[in-house]
Amino acid sequence: MAGRLAAMIRKELSQLLRDWPILLFVVWAFTGAVYTGGHGISSEIHNYPLVVLDLSRSAASRELVSRFRAPYFKIVGYARDDAEVVRLLDGGRASLAIVIPPDFERRVHRSGARFQVISDGSQSTSATIAGAHIAGIAGGYSAELLERRLAAAGRGGVPQVEARVRVEYNPNLVEAWFAGLLEVLNQVTMIAMLLAAAAMVREREQGTVEHLLVSPLRPAELFAAKIVPVVALVPLAALGSVFAIVHGVFATPIRGSVTLFYAVSVVYVFAMASLGLAIAVVSRNLGQAMLLVLLVLYPMMLLSGAFTPPESMGPIMRYVGLLSPVRHYVDFGYQVLFKGNGLAYVWPDIAGILALGLALFAISVRRFARLAR
Amino acid sequence: MGDRRGGRRGDRALAIARKEARQLLRDPAYLGLAIVVPLLLIMLLGYQLSLDVKGLLVAVVDHDRSPWSRQYIDAFVHSEYFRLVGQLDSATEAREWVRSGRARVVIDIPPDFGRRLSAGERVAVSVTVDGSFPTRGQIATGYVEAIGALYNQQLIESRLGRGDGGPVWPVQMELSVWYNPTLESKNFIVPGMLVVILMIFPPLLSALLIVRERESGTILNLYCSPAGRWDIVAGKALPYVAVSFFDYLVILAASLWLFRVRFVGSVWVLSAGALLYAVCTVGIGLLISALARSQLAAMLATFLGTVAPAFTFSGIFTPAASQDAVGQVVSRLIPATYFMEVVRGSFLKGGGLAPYGPSLLILALYAAVVYLGAWLALRKRVG
Repeated sequence: MAGRLAAMIRKELSQLLRDWPILLFVVWAFTGAVYTGGHGISSEIHNYPLVVLDLSRSAASRELVSRFRAPYFKIVGYARDDAEVVRLLDGGRASLAIVIPPDFERRVHRSGARFQVISDGSQSTSATIAGAHIAGIAGGYSAELLERRLAAAGRGGVPQVEARVRVEYNPNLVEAWFAGLLEVLNQVTMIAMLLAAAAMVREREQGTVEHLLVSPLRPAELFAAKIVPVVALVPLAALGSVFAIVHGVFATPIRGSVTLFYAVSVVYVFAMASLGLAIAVVSRNLGQAMLLVLLVLYPMMLLSGAFTPPESMGPIMRYVGLLSPVRHYVDFGYQVLFKGNGLAYVWPDIAGILALGLALFAISVRRFARLAR
Repeated sequence: MGDRRGGRRGDRALAIARKEARQLLRDPAYLGLAIVVPLLLIMLLGYQLSLDVKGLLVAVVDHDRSPWSRQYIDAFVHSEYFRLVGQLDSATEAREWVRSGRARVVIDIPPDFGRRLSAGERVAVSVTVDGSFPTRGQIATGYVEAIGALYNQQLIESRLGRGDGGPVWPVQMELSVWYNPTLESKNFIVPGMLVVILMIFPPLLSALLIVRERESGTILNLYCSPAGRWDIVAGKALPYVAVSFFDYLVILAASLWLFRVRFVGSVWVLSAGALLYAVCTVGIGLLISALARSQLAAMLATFLGTVAPAFTFSGIFTPAASQDAVGQVVSRLIPATYFMEVVRGSFLKGGGLAPYGPSLLILALYAAVVYLGAWLALRKRVG
């Protein structure tokens, strides 16, 4: 039995390794795609484009404007009138406008001044963050003005709470640290499913699956043979990508055990490849298989907690998300590589991946056995 | 030249289109997936995915335990943005909670908090934020700033009073939100996903069209037929452009009537954009299909070359203006960015045809280039 399996694995491996276009894409997925992905998705505000219409042109207004600075805000222009503000916002050149009325300075010193903030709400997350920062800026400026005024009058200080924020693990909130690693984890998910599904669908399309069915190989053996090359290749590629791109190019600190990451990645790829095979078994051609892969893949990735934190999801989705291996893997990946956590912290994730992996393997073998009969 | 091969050019392309359409319609699974999958995705996204970050898990280490500190903590807990998960005793314990992910934010209040505030002094509170998810970290930081500023304002006003003719709060901001006044994330996710979904399915399906015939050998039939290269390219594209446009109509209907996404622009401008975009995306698939050697290679190339960048760089999450240099370049190279401008604008900003003319023109040029490429790529194999 071992000989049968070994022969089949050898055939699958050499088929995969000889397919250079496929290998090329796997390489791209773990290098170029990770590199570009590291620059991508984020709702944070960074150089948030801001246009200023300062009708006051006073020391007070200039001081206010000077507080809108990098890294959060980038002043892309000073408008001359309302029309220009509208044009810049409509055209998407600016996402935020600050309008300071002519009597700003006079009112600052008397009755309390107001300035107008116009925010492009079409990207609601960024707009919310920007609004919060501006509230902080306006509050800080006000408190300082009051303090100065009271000090000048010799009336002592102002009671104030100053929140000193320290960010753990990523002090400067470098998006690439997060996005690069996320991209690796997502590529592992996608490539594992796609490669396994493709290996199986190809046999079905070419009719060679009949040969396999009448061969002495048992369904579980056949499945193992299809999965092993994927399991051998993908976690290694992920590891290479973590070292070369995530650590090498983005300079993300790798704080935890790379061995643990590799070991669990092997289990995870096994789980995702099983899922890919299950899909291949129920579809008749590559087109169908691909669409099914996407149908399964996108919801799993969206529920992974990388886009919306689990605690902000609705209660149903929070628990449905636990059925997504991606959720456990993303959590595991960040905890181990990024936070430097060990087994004591990540065992629930590992248990989840193991349980889901075994279930998926069992399901796909059973489906295939039914097909064989 | 067309007559020599029999039939007019348009007729031959239409014949191929008819054959492709029949093949598509005869495979109910295929057609179902091409239409049902996009719909399911938009349903899931529209109903379940919210990017509004609320209920961030916060833990408190209160060394002061005075009415002052409780009031400060209440300011956070009573907002919808934070949810108190625990009162801890030591900073070490707090670190542990951040590490294990039980808390995303820890507020550490020093022992002299109340005493100093009542004496009219400034006091520092240390806030620890988990930065492993930077966006979330930034949101948490922003909320802490905003809530802190509000708390300070109340504190100062209650101490100094408004009555003594003295200071009132000097600078207030008046926030008005345009285009999406309620700041609901569905108003940008659903239109954004329209762009991404139309980038996923049409090219993935059309990427198999030519290479499938090559793998099964039926491409020789096409080579021997009187159909020219334009006939093949146009004939194969047509049914898929139609399916893609149909997908667009269904998603548009769902956005408007099911999710009630704000829509202020012109349906005609948006539809023109969608049609050009469908032509583009199907064309990209065909170009890849003409170049690829195997179906799998075509599929992976499409996936990595179009789908992933569309998701990352079209501006669905990040305003194009705040992307870095690499992001700017990539975003200018993909059609999704231009269609995104038309879609976002039509849903949220309005303004007729004029603002979107350049984007539509670029989409049209893009389509021309892609089909020319497919035409050229096909020749190599014919010769």
